[in-house]
Amino acid sequence: MSTPSISQDIMTNLGNSPGISLALFLGGLIGAVAFMAIAGLILIYAERKICAHFQCRLGPMRVGWHGILQSVADTIKLLMKEDIVPYAADKFMHALAPIVALAAALMTLIAIPMSAKITLADSNIGVLYISAISGIGVLGILLGGWSSNNKWSMLGAMRAGAQIISYELSATLSILAIVMLSGSLKISTIIQSQEAGWWIWRAPVVGLVAFLSFLISSTAEVNRTPFDLAEGESELAAGFHTEYSGMRFAFFFLAEYLNLFIVSALGATLFLGGWMPFHLGEWTMFNQIMDLIPQSIWFLGKTSFMIFVSMWFRWTFPRLRVDQLMKLEWKVLLPIGFVNLLLCAFMTLFGFYFFSTTTRGF
Amino acid sequence: MVKTLEDRINPSSTNDSVLSTQEYFVNMGPQHPSTHGVLRLVLKLDGETVREVIPVLGYIHRGMEKKAETIGYRQQIHLTDRLDYLCSVMNNWVSAEVVEKAAKIESNERIQTIRTIVAELQRIQSHLLWWGVFGMDLGAFTPFLYGFRDREKITKIFEDTIGARLTMNYIQPGGLMYDIHPDFVKDVKSFLTYIKPLFAEYDGLVTGNIIIQERLRNVGIMDAKTAIALGTTGPVLRASGVAHDLRKIKPYGVYSKVDFAIPIGTVGDCWDRYAVRMLEMRESVKIVEQLIDNVPEGKHLTMKAGAKIRPPAGVYYEEMETARGIFGVMINSDGTEKPSRVYYRTPNFHNIWSITKISPGGRIGDLVAIMSSLDIVVPDMDR
Amino acid sequence: MKTIIAERPFEGNFFSKVIFGFKSLIKGMGITFGYLVHPSTVVTQQYPENRKTLKISDRARNQLVFNLDENNYHKCTACHICEQQCPNGSIHVLERKKPASAKVELDTFIWRLDSCTFCNVCVMVCPFQVLKMTQDFESSVFDQKLLIYNLTPYAGPTSTVLNKIVEPEERKKMIEPRGQYSGPTALAGFHIAGISKQVFQETEQRKDQK
Repeated sequence: MSTPSISQDIMTNLGNSPGISLALFLGGLIGAVAFMAIAGLILIYAERKICAHFQCRLGPMRVGWHGILQSVADTIKLLMKEDIVPYAADKFMHALAPIVALAAALMTLIAIPMSAKITLADSNIGVLYISAISGIGVLGILLGGWSSNNKWSMLGAMRAGAQIISYELSATLSILAIVMLSGSLKISTIIQSQEAGWWIWRAPVVGLVAFLSFLISSTAEVNRTPFDLAEGESELAAGFHTEYSGMRFAFFFLAEYLNLFIVSALGATLFLGGWMPFHLGEWTMFNQIMDLIPQSIWFLGKTSFMIFVSMWFRWTFPRLRVDQLMKLEWKVLLPIGFVNLLLCAFMTLFGFYFFSTTTRGF
Repeated sequence: MVKTLEDRINPSSTNDSVLSTQEYFVNMGPQHPSTHGVLRLVLKLDGETVREVIPVLGYIHRGMEKKAETIGYRQQIHLTDRLDYLCSVMNNWVSAEVVEKAAKIESNERIQTIRTIVAELQRIQSHLLWWGVFGMDLGAFTPFLYGFRDREKITKIFEDTIGARLTMNYIQPGGLMYDIHPDFVKDVKSFLTYIKPLFAEYDGLVTGNIIIQERLRNVGIMDAKTAIALGTTGPVLRASGVAHDLRKIKPYGVYSKVDFAIPIGTVGDCWDRYAVRMLEMRESVKIVEQLIDNVPEGKHLTMKAGAKIRPPAGVYYEEMETARGIFGVMINSDGTEKPSRVYYRTPNFHNIWSITKISPGGRIGDLVAIMSSLDIVVPDMDR
Repeated sequence: MKTIIAERPFEGNFFSKVIFGFKSLIKGMGITFGYLVHPSTVVTQQYPENRKTLKISDRARNQLVFNLDENNYHKCTACHICEQQCPNGSIHVLERKKPASAKVELDTFIWRLDSCTFCNVCVMVCPFQVLKMTQDFESSVFDQKLLIYNLTPYAGPTSTVLNKIVEPEERKKMIEPRGQYSGPTALAGFHIAGISKQVFQETEQRKDQK
């Protein structure tokens, strides 16, 4: 770990003490929650505008300049709505489901670093932690569908449950390829290993195939078209969150967009280098020019690119039927993932990738 | 023993194995994003598989046939606008033509040519809307907007000539309400040049898409015998392989003078119904191209606008091929100005029953695809 | 009968399907991307801001009005043909009890916008071309009573009778101005409630005599 994070800097300057570390911890958490809320708002507005321009129309234009305050207006509206709980619903579960969904999103978000200094929780098993916690999001969906006491919601929740646990496998396989290439589960190590170049192009074919497989699996993980049959607007009239209104619906909605942000950030971190600027092996002049752009800008730019690709998918493709979805995962993506992993093992062992012998040793 | 709907909605266990499953009834209710209107479908589901579909009609019954008895022959035409509102000019044509046949009102070449052109433009417009809604039902939200953007061009042409955008009431007994606008020919020609390259774009976006193909292939197969037995007409029948199109069999208007082909399908699944309609759009473009340059001269109304229409007593029937099937109007006249009985043979009422035969065994996602490919408009069913 | 057989979708083995699928998805994405990067393809018109440049066609059927000449005189003779032919009774023609000329004169021409279907039959059948439809579509109100229009600006004889009279003072004596109708009306073909039965029956008798 070469560069100390912001909190470590502050600690050494002010003298190590438990009070300061507690304050820093709380400050970091509040910062993460604030970031989460603001990112959610910006993403919702961006989705509506990009969707509109794909469809030859303008999108929100009235609230603020070109509709910038639309998300704020939506939030105020959702806060003021009446909170309707179905009569025969399981009240505790009904209240718990959105909280579980949002908590899973928040817990995953803190593990992804924005730059070398802005890291909140950088554990040795970072990648494993993220995979595990994103599984808790399924619980939120299943609870929501079950507790609504509505056959349509139940159908949506069951489909979502089956879909998410299937696609976890493919996502994990593609992540494993990168873990193998960089040699560690710790996210900061993975990013450091991309100093000579990003894994998507540095590992020929394997990196690209793993990236595409991750793209498809992560779109399925977050229930976005073409895999959004859990919400299936035309089939199930909003699926598992039909019976939610007001702020609880806002939680589900926000959790969906935060999940999108998380998987895009994860993809950017593992395959596109995270906050690492675009370096080309040992070409120091070029690398130094690239280093001038701050690292958080690199990170946000790459994440935005991944988010844009995800939105592009959503507004172009129709949705898959549930058995076709399962067939895609178990018969197409999983075999490709295994073959990819095997090739990756050979590549790592014999160093058959670009810039395999650098001064860093990765 | 007659079973009412309530008798049938009783959950029952179907197998006695150790792991027993239960079939359950779900209401795809009158308010639903993809039933294209207020149609209630009672589904009997076994997990995700559909076992039985029971359509319940009547939510938008307005008593049009009774209403037509109290207003005259000229006024019942604007009621047919509101039956299948996407083919309103074609519906008008049938009602006007049956009155013309009954009261022996003449027509001339110009009137028939313009009626044919407007009807074919309406067919393109109706199919464009169907295409957009089809994409939306399957989850692709973008074709909806593209379809409406292109449809707007035709709607603008209709607004300039006819005055209305949806409920036209254009074709009257004896001719047309207005003569065509001076810009009509120019606008139609520019529309034809605009729409032709867009068909290739639609193919790239929807038809060639692997997801759409996999979702529609071999879904909801209806063979020719079932289709004929159920009384389906229009693209639904033609997709099952039966080459039946009233524009060729009993030509009306100037269809006997134009050269066009009838698309038919082979297997009779959703894909064939989709492909048949896409090809029909291209054929309609060909028809309009052949007619738009040589519209004969003449009057647009061969009788006085307010003349009383008193057909002699008798039963008269006329039918035509609209975008969804065969629309027929029967009038039973007793010699006065108001009919004693009007019957509308609507295509959607006969097409909807095929869903009870072709969707059991598939999944809910298939049901939505089948409903969308049947292209039903609910007010047409309930009249 | 000339027929075209519709093509079937792509068939192939596993690998060719994967490659075909990939190519088709990329093609679809290319089409939508084309629309994203060309802002000139946007077709939305921002409504209240574009009111000055909005072009609606001449024949658009959004509002029924009288054809008035340069002196604001109409040609309606209260012949009741439009009232009879209206399919759902959205027109009520009231005659003047004491006509200034010897013939029947129009008093009020009530048109109900809330029940009119804009079918245009009244415009077509009027023998004197009194009515026309204009494009004014901004007719929403908060009170349903405001949707009951009186289309004639005055109660009196037609413009042919009035234009024969040279003196403007004489003309003014023959007409009585009328504004927005605020009396009772019935909806969709029922008898007009509130108008005395005798007047109604007299009007009906006169219609039958024609």
